Amino acid sequence: MLKMLSNAWLIPIPPAVAFVLIVLVTKRFKLLSALLAIFAITLSFIYSIGILLEVLSQGITMNNPVEYSVNWLSLGGETIRPLLIEAGVLIDPLTSVMLVVVTLVALLVEIYSLGYMKGDPGFSVFFGYLSFFVMSMLGLVLANNYFMMFIFWELVGLCSYLLIGFYFHKHSAAKASKKAFITNRWGDFGFMLGIFSLFLIFGTFNFNDLAEAIGRQHGAFLIIPALLVLAGPIAKSAQFPLHVWLPDAMEGPTPVSALIHAATMVAAGVYLIARGYILFTGLEAVSFAIAYIGGFTALFAAIIAVVQFDIKRIIAFSTVSQLGYMVMALGVGSLSAGIFHLTTHAFFKALLFLAAGSVIHAAHTQNIFEMGGLSKSMKITTWSFIVGALSLSGIFPLAGFWSKDEILLVTLEKGFTGLYIIGSLVAFLTAFYVFRLVFVVFFGKKKTRAYESPLSMTVPLMVLAFLSITSGFAGAPFVEKGFSSFIYFQEPHHVQVNFLIMIGSTVLALGGIALAWAVYVKKLIDPVLVTDRARSLYVVVYNKFYIDEIYHWLFYRIMMNIGKAFNWNDRHVVDGIFDGIAGLTRAAGAKLRLVHTGNLQNYALVIFASVVIIVIWMAVPVLGGIQ
Amino acid sequence: MLEQFTSIGIFIFVGLGFAVSSLLVAWIVRPKRPNPLKMSTYECGLETRGRTWIQFKVSYFLYALVFLVFDVEVVFLIPWAVEFLKLPWIAFIEMFIFIGILVVGLWYVWKEGALEWK
Amino acid sequence: MIAGIDFSLLTVEIFTAALGLGLLIINLIVPGNQRSATGYLTVLGLLGILLVTLSYEGVEKTFMDGMYIIDPFATFFKRLFLVAAILVTISSLPFVKKLGYNEGDFFSLLVFATLGMMVLVSAGELITLYLGLELMTISFYILVSFKKKDAKSCEAGIKYIILSAMSSALLLYGLSLVYGLTKTTIIEQIASTLAAGTMQPLMALGIIFLLAGFGFKISLVPFHMWAPDVYEGAPTPITAFLAVASKAAALAAFVRIFLIGFPAYQEYWITLVIVLSVLTMVLGNLVAIPQTNIKRLLAYSSISQAGYLLLGIVAFSSMGIGAILFFSIIYVFTNVGAFMVVVALSTSTGSHKIEDYSGLYRRAPLLAVVMLFCLLSLAGLPPLAGFVGKLYLFIAVIEKGYIWLALLAVLMSMVSVYYYLLVVKVMFLKEPPQNSGIIKVPNGLQIAMVFSLILIIVLGIYPKPLSDLAMSVAHTFFPFSF
Repeated sequence: MLKMLSNAWLIPIPPAVAFVLIVLVTKRFKLLSALLAIFAITLSFIYSIGILLEVLSQGITMNNPVEYSVNWLSLGGETIRPLLIEAGVLIDPLTSVMLVVVTLVALLVEIYSLGYMKGDPGFSVFFGYLSFFVMSMLGLVLANNYFMMFIFWELVGLCSYLLIGFYFHKHSAAKASKKAFITNRWGDFGFMLGIFSLFLIFGTFNFNDLAEAIGRQHGAFLIIPALLVLAGPIAKSAQFPLHVWLPDAMEGPTPVSALIHAATMVAAGVYLIARGYILFTGLEAVSFAIAYIGGFTALFAAIIAVVQFDIKRIIAFSTVSQLGYMVMALGVGSLSAGIFHLTTHAFFKALLFLAAGSVIHAAHTQNIFEMGGLSKSMKITTWSFIVGALSLSGIFPLAGFWSKDEILLVTLEKGFTGLYIIGSLVAFLTAFYVFRLVFVVFFGKKKTRAYESPLSMTVPLMVLAFLSITSGFAGAPFVEKGFSSFIYFQEPHHVQVNFLIMIGSTVLALGGIALAWAVYVKKLIDPVLVTDRARSLYVVVYNKFYIDEIYHWLFYRIMMNIGKAFNWNDRHVVDGIFDGIAGLTRAAGAKLRLVHTGNLQNYALVIFASVVIIVIWMAVPVLGGIQ
Repeated sequence: MLEQFTSIGIFIFVGLGFAVSSLLVAWIVRPKRPNPLKMSTYECGLETRGRTWIQFKVSYFLYALVFLVFDVEVVFLIPWAVEFLKLPWIAFIEMFIFIGILVVGLWYVWKEGALEWK
Repeated sequence: MIAGIDFSLLTVEIFTAALGLGLLIINLIVPGNQRSATGYLTVLGLLGILLVTLSYEGVEKTFMDGMYIIDPFATFFKRLFLVAAILVTISSLPFVKKLGYNEGDFFSLLVFATLGMMVLVSAGELITLYLGLELMTISFYILVSFKKKDAKSCEAGIKYIILSAMSSALLLYGLSLVYGLTKTTIIEQIASTLAAGTMQPLMALGIIFLLAGFGFKISLVPFHMWAPDVYEGAPTPITAFLAVASKAAALAAFVRIFLIGFPAYQEYWITLVIVLSVLTMVLGNLVAIPQTNIKRLLAYSSISQAGYLLLGIVAFSSMGIGAILFFSIIYVFTNVGAFMVVVALSTSTGSHKIEDYSGLYRRAPLLAVVMLFCLLSLAGLPPLAGFVGKLYLFIAVIEKGYIWLALLAVLMSMVSVYYYLLVVKVMFLKEPPQNSGIIKVPNGLQIAMVFSLILIIVLGIYPKPLSDLAMSVAHTFFPFSF
């Protein structure tokens, strides 16, 4: 059944069709639009499952992927370097897993949105955008070359802009979408330069060809292209220092946060690193940088998350932190661990976001201290949230435990003891901040009246909760032929089970939970007192280490002034020149128009005169005529 | 090779010269005895009355065109008829196709009323 | 059957002639009030002939000792003419319906003009070529002045007849000079006769006259003066046909004569072609800016497009020819697409003023969107088909080292964006006039428009199949890339 694989390009088609239909035809019929989008994503999901099964049964491994492509554009000849751009799909285990994760989460999020977005004036458009986003993301995952990937990468960015700014009448949403777009632009620009420089060096955009070429000649000359390419993931996966957009992106509707800013789009950066893994692994300095950026981001974001009190913001910083984990895993050299964590994280983070959405839906506030005791009225939401929180904290035997554990194991095994300590610390902080949230929101005194959300919202929660519990077993060390023998780089790498680490991280996580319990349930420690003691530190952390302010300052003081200078230059010098040219052009047009008198004799005269002039020109040798 | 253009120059010169010289010779040799009748515009026709920029009846041209078409037909028909016996049978069919096309044309002209002098 | 003459090679031409005559006969038989149905018949007939051309895939034969050539190049253009003719026929249905007289003649003449173009591109010999050219042109004389009660249409007709006759005279003079110097009218033999000798002044004169004659038909500056007036006055579908098909036909014949017949003198005439191309691009684009009539604007735009097309000849390589073929096809859909919108709008509003397009997006979204994409494609913005077409042309000349020429062409494309966007601005941003209603577009026209629109987008995103076809045709036609 190779047909199934060779037609994998069909996967993004249903959402694309749904998008077009919704925008052009069914926009007025809300329910129909939504059902159309859900139907389309279901088709894609089923096909993706088919692809995954096919990959498993065909024995397609990371080292012998299948690739189908047509030449999209080919140009060139003798004097110009031949340019060949393909449109094609690359299918290997990594692709197949990503396809399933993206379509599954998207499907659940779309079903959830049926309830969550009910009554919104932009209901249909919302589903249209979601479909468009899914299409772009699937295209990105399937692409077999950097060029195609870049196109879809940009489309994903565009969707994110549209969806964050979905409530565009809200000033903060409009601002957040702009911020996300501009921040991502920095990364995209580097990414673009990176793939162009790779093209200049190796003459191809194709992943496999590039991998082969890089395998043959690898050296320090690749550091700059590698760093440029890396700029893309740093922005898209919200790594320090380009992480600032992600927390603000929470201005978008919650399902969007779940789909884009937790499960899929931010994973694109991690996916990109994994795709071009050979480029980074050979360069020790670059890998080192990746690992430490990831580790630092993980810690940095976890610290910030501890003091936030907007429910979505906490989860957002947790996302940044978890993405840091993944990037760190890739940096220390384990593709398997990074992607494994990406997969489990997609499920439990989507779960957390959707559950948070359910809470917001019911409580009409995002401040956790304005909520409380929701566990009584919202049973399903509470329990699924707790499952997500446990999974995030890495409690045995939930999904997060296995994947986080593998990352920590790998870090230690590869000799990054420093990163291991950071990772463990993050595990502790993670457990603390997420259970701080749980205890404050779901237990304690009841502060708001809330009702359980409709079935369309709770069913996806339950499915995701199930996955958050079970998906980790795919990569658990005792499973033979598990995740790490499915997705790997060059050869499967099996980590030795280290019970010490397992127990250590579990203890840390439990410690975090216990601390949260002590502080927020038993009130043994008064958080207000603590913050008062370390007022200045608290303020710094609460304000996210003033990174935003620094950027703001950089942006307004330096960039704006540079911008102003350019603006002046543009307005007075460049515009002057171009206005002059344009004016001249217009004037020339207006003058030349007068040649057309409408008089037949004049026309005939012009034709004859031209012939005579050409004849004279050709006849006179001085003017380059006939010799 | 500018000098090669001399042939074109001579060509133009001789062409002009021929026209001018023939007029010139005629002007020299012809007797010049003008009288009012000879000086009139149409020596052997009628004086025009009124403006000469009048609209002609378009039927003149239509007649001329139709005439021309059948004139051309004859140009083709005569060589065909002369060599008729030596030609393969397809030539016979071809000529009928040709005549057929002209007949359609005639039919069209007739139906459109171009043959009626209104 | 006469030995050596394979009439089956002429199937397409014979069918086209039969269709033209048949339409004339039907027009005579059918009573006056039912004649508008002939339009549908024409579409069907042309579609049938288009299907017949499919059987000519890869056929490369000559008829009557090289007098008539059936090669992929000619077949490619024949298909182009047929497609253009079909689109034009569809878009003239509302016009003809409104006309109320001589409905059948209109379509019959359209078919005969198409036949003339076919003969023109297939001619391997100068007299046949001239015959095709005249068949096409004479049909157009009548078509241009078909609105006989409209002064502008008549004026356009007269201008076209007189100037065209003049250009035909120039062309004939050129042809006779070429014949006089080479003692043959068959293009292949002309090339072999000329290969040995050096450039003779009379030959230069002949080439210049030919250039002027073809330049007139392709509307190259400075032989373009007729185009705006005629385009403006002619019935809009005919303007589209004139701007697209007749131009492509003349260009194809031009390519055949110059590239096959006079490769020996390429350094002379290429200089001339470069000059004409530069003049055409610059003037066409500049003069388009102040236009207030959409048809005149499109006329100037089509003049400038001819300038881009010449780049393919300047390249003098199979890549250049391929680029011409590719661009021509794209040009059919974009330009006819734009004219179809003009037709649709003018049948309901009767106006060709750009200012009357204000708020078109509200009144007729489909028309506005089709127009938008056509104009952007004409301007050569990615990812539309026009961009790819221009890209190929520019690359073809850059390969030959004419980087400055490509730069100039790009610059002029930017200028063109300006005036195209002026129209877009009016359509999308301006408020529709007060008492304007929704504009109804006939179904056939809608289908044709959507078809063009889809092709413009699809060929822009995935040009490979068409460009492969164009390049392979070009390679068999002109297998040189030096």
